Amino acid sequence: MDFGFSEEQREVQALARQILSEQVTPEKLAAYDEYAAARFDEELWRQLLDAGLTNVALDESYGGMGFGFIELALVLEEAGRTIAPVPLVHHCVSAMMPLQQFAPEALKERVLPAAAAGSLLLTAALSETGNDNAAQPTAVVAAEHVEGVRLSGIKSAVPYAQEAGAILVAAQLDESVCVVLLETGAAGVSMSPVEYTTFEPHADVTLDNVLVPAANIVMREGGEAVMHWLVERTTAALCAHQLGAADYAMRTAASYTSEREQFGVPVATFQAVGHRMADCYIDIECLRLTTYQAVSLLGAGVDASTELDIAKIWAGDCGHRVSYATQHVHGGTGIDRDYPLWRYCLWLRHNEMALGGSSVHLAALGQRLAAGEGLFA
Amino acid sequence: MDIQFNAEQLALRDELRAYFAAMMTPELREECERDMGEGGGPLWREALRQMGKDGWIGVGWPEAWGGRGMSPLEQFIFVEEVMRAGYPFPFLTTESVGPILAEHGNEFIKREFVPKILAGEMLISIGYSEPGAGTDLASLKTSAVRDGDDWVINGQKMWTSLAHFCDYTWLACRTDPDAPKKHKGITMFLVPNSDPGWSCTPVTTLGGVRTNATFYDNIRVSDDYRVGELNSGWKLVTSQLNRERLSLINFGPSSLLFNEVVKWARTTALPKGGYVIDQPWVQQNLARCRADIECMKLIVYKQSWAMTEQTLDMADASAAKVFGSEAFIEVYRLLGEILGQSALRRDDEHGDALGRKIERLYRTSSIITFGGGTNEIQRDIISAAGLWMPRAAR
Ligand SMILES: Cc1cc2nc3c(=O)[nH]c(=O)nc-3n(C[C@H](O)[C@H](O)[C@H](O)COP(=O)(O)OP(=O)(O)OC[C@H]3O[C@@H](n4cnc5c(N)ncnc54)[C@H](O)[C@@H]3O)c2cc1C
Repeated sequence: MDFGFSEEQREVQALARQILSEQVTPEKLAAYDEYAAARFDEELWRQLLDAGLTNVALDESYGGMGFGFIELALVLEEAGRTIAPVPLVHHCVSAMMPLQQFAPEALKERVLPAAAAGSLLLTAALSETGNDNAAQPTAVVAAEHVEGVRLSGIKSAVPYAQEAGAILVAAQLDESVCVVLLETGAAGVSMSPVEYTTFEPHADVTLDNVLVPAANIVMREGGEAVMHWLVERTTAALCAHQLGAADYAMRTAASYTSEREQFGVPVATFQAVGHRMADCYIDIECLRLTTYQAVSLLGAGVDASTELDIAKIWAGDCGHRVSYATQHVHGGTGIDRDYPLWRYCLWLRHNEMALGGSSVHLAALGQRLAAGEGLFA
Repeated sequence: MDIQFNAEQLALRDELRAYFAAMMTPELREECERDMGEGGGPLWREALRQMGKDGWIGVGWPEAWGGRGMSPLEQFIFVEEVMRAGYPFPFLTTESVGPILAEHGNEFIKREFVPKILAGEMLISIGYSEPGAGTDLASLKTSAVRDGDDWVINGQKMWTSLAHFCDYTWLACRTDPDAPKKHKGITMFLVPNSDPGWSCTPVTTLGGVRTNATFYDNIRVSDDYRVGELNSGWKLVTSQLNRERLSLINFGPSSLLFNEVVKWARTTALPKGGYVIDQPWVQQNLARCRADIECMKLIVYKQSWAMTEQTLDMADASAAKVFGSEAFIEVYRLLGEILGQSALRRDDEHGDALGRKIERLYRTSSIITFGGGTNEIQRDIISAAGLWMPRAAR
């Protein structure tokens, strides 16, 4: 039992915190509000690439740092703390990690070094209209072809689709699921941007009989396993991001209420205010512990389905409560767009809902218990 | 980062689990049930002495004091297992007061009290609260006045649990009524419950658990019975409360109860077919409980780990207390809903004691939110120590 971080983990965390807290400012974030520009700070991205932080979980043979998921989660927590305008979750967790885990060696050698160096941006398509199960695609269908597979259909709201060079896509192939790395420049791929609550770039991706060459097939059959694996990691990544964002929102509210005076005293001295903040502190501690637990189990490659559901339930509940509590104790300032809190509220909401809100994960956990799994040891 | 027990920790858990399984005979279990989980009966005492002989008292005390020198994490495993077994272990004597006596007691106390505590032959009740001093404990009035070599003690304590079968009371007394700060005029004493000036009347609570009002009428003790420096008792009181907090939130019994309710719901048929657990709301309740108890587990593990590493954060300790106490109450409610009407029965409808257990837990749980340092004060500590928020003067 060890709740501490190793020397390397502390170094990764400190480096991420330093770069992100110096580079991400409310002024810079304002540039992306209302989609005035694509929410992608390429200069910051370059710095993260150069520092190796996008590649912490990538093997050294592909140009990575050779650490694991825990180290990457610590970077994501810092990204959440600053709500950094970079595609860390999508590129690193939803795409690079499953490619490294499942792709044929030749494909890995072709794309991972490029992704690590920053010449190829990756993302993954996890949603379809009316279908929240990324592991069982129904809207995109694949057909066998002598040179590979042909894909048709629509993936909805793919993050950074227009910025990315390739997208991890799952398609229904006969009775099974096929997972491919789709190059965004392929003939028959078209995109139309959609607007998200966070102003993060997303696009619906329409595939019109797109030929994906055999060399880009990650798994021709049984790709459910790939998608399940990557959804688990992405869910944990959202929890880590949520942890950073919630912690920042809480600390902002604590300092604001310590300064703001009414009735001649700081509003923090009203017990009702202090206690609401104490409840945020407890919620965030629960999110922290459940997230680290899920991340460390996933990092060790052991089954973490129960622990992950629990972490995401906290990410949802904690995100919701911390968002409203921090807004509330700020009074009007909390929602004033000249003050930085409001953008955090958007992200707390995003991370709460993405890949399933609390009720979805409670239901999944409940079903597992009903099947006699997930009891206490 | 590795949130799992290592091999030695698992071995300790298994050893304890087997030990307590053998110790908890049906007769002892029945006696403990009868005594409302408070202990005090003859079989309970016998078991305690046996634990003393087997070296299971004072597991966390340094070896130099006659303990086992276990780390907080190992102690925590001990606490979990003894509570899981359902034995009302006298933590207040052995884990809260005992180590203070071993550390701060004079030679007389180290000789006369400490070995008996480790042998399971000395039980001590805690006399802090008074009718007028609850959360604001430092306003206590029970007085100790110097008379030659002796002290003369007068006053009344409230909620002195277990006092009716304990040998001594660990008593907080005012020794300087004029101290500029009220917590600077308090001194700790050990007072014999057998003294003719000592008396107690029972106070029965909602849960059926007995506690006591205790009265101190001109009780005379020599200076040997004073513990710690004159007028510096407050430090001892607060360090005891901190120790107490660790044994307050344990998840062992809740995780066991949870598993039992899941099993019950999976095997109990509904009149119209299917099982209790097939109902979505039941699954929802169970999932909620599972998530809450998991957090409880992680919070206490982390706390024990931090104590082992000597990095325990004050705000985190308070967060554990608030979360744990409130989550318990919610968990019992949600599990009770699943059992339905049988959670209202004081007898044993299903023969598995489940409904009865929850019926009683409903009645005995409220103390955890205000006892051991009320949650309001804990939240004050969290916002001040964890978030650096200023606090109103009290
Ligand atoms: C079954 C049982 C066993 C006990 N055993 C023992 C024992 O063995 N020895 C012993 O010494 N004591 C014991 N106690 C006493 C226990 O520690 C007290 O009940 C506790 O300290 C609270 O004090 P009180 O009951 O006087 O409530 P009060 O202090 O009067 O509190 C009433 C309410 O006011 C709130 N409140 C008080 N101050 C504040 C504040 N500053 N800010 C916000 N809210 C506040 C409290 O949270 C509470 O909700 C026991 C109590 C019970 C019920």
